[in-house]
Amino acid sequence: MTDSAELERRYQRLLAWYPATFRLEHGQEILGVLLDSAHEGQQRVAFADAADLIRSALMLRLSPASWAPVTVVRAVRLMRVGCLATIAALITTFVTEASVRAAMTQRATAHQWSLMLVHLTAVEVIAPVTVVGWLWLAQAIGRGRDWARAIFFAYFGVTTLSLIFMLAERAAVYASADLIALAVLWLVQVSVLVLIFSKRSSLYYRPELTSSI
Amino acid sequence: MQEATFLVLTALADGSQHGYAIMAGVREISGGRVRLRAGTLYAALDRLCADGMVRVDREEVVDNRLRRYYRLTPAGSKLLAAEAARLHANAIAALSRLRLAEGMAT
Repeated sequence: MTDSAELERRYQRLLAWYPATFRLEHGQEILGVLLDSAHEGQQRVAFADAADLIRSALMLRLSPASWAPVTVVRAVRLMRVGCLATIAALITTFVTEASVRAAMTQRATAHQWSLMLVHLTAVEVIAPVTVVGWLWLAQAIGRGRDWARAIFFAYFGVTTLSLIFMLAERAAVYASADLIALAVLWLVQVSVLVLIFSKRSSLYYRPELTSSI
Repeated sequence: MQEATFLVLTALADGSQHGYAIMAGVREISGGRVRLRAGTLYAALDRLCADGMVRVDREEVVDNRLRRYYRLTPAGSKLLAAEAARLHANAIAALSRLRLAEGMAT
């Protein structure tokens, strides 16, 4: 295989990250520009080009449709913030886990110890699922899927129950930091709900309502 | 308006260009400071086309590959002129205040 053919195959693999419609419209053009920009004998994709292609492809996949109302666009942005906050919480938990365990070994009661283990397991298992959930719901909400609004409302219900549970469990190890994180997440969810259930957004999700207004 | 969008519109201000020429134009206009990559460029072009600021002027096939030329629409030219005027006004205000401050210091 020639250098050029090998490089083209690698670029095509990266272009597979794009949505099919975008690839159909611009795939060949982008490939042409990438190959024109490559230097003589180049075989490997430059890291900056690969990162740029993957980032752009993900942004396109997660962006609302171009005809989405501003309320939906804002809701999707807020959902990205929620996703980043969840990732930040997960990283914080991983980074601080060892020190918290060490501190707890010395002075925690059996009840506190078991609460901490439940908490750590819950965060480490549920948070990655939640990150995927945020991205999946952001994409569906941005694309005007009405069922995604219902699922997001259910997710809000779960967060509200968790918040109430945490307020009742004042002795939890991560109590104050967790409570603040969960309260911020809850506020983000409330804002998203207000935006996606606004009159403007409802017409986007249920265009048949336009005729009855 | 983001700087990359402004530079893409500026690269198209004097006529239609294909993707590679737009990337080279952006680099030249920014004095080498901004290096637009293909992924970012086509995401911006797709958005600008959807917003009616840019349109496909013509297409040709080079080395068995489609090449599209893009050009500004009248709305795109108007948007670029408005943004350029805004940046120009800001630059003039900044320079005049700096001159005023220098005058007071001496």
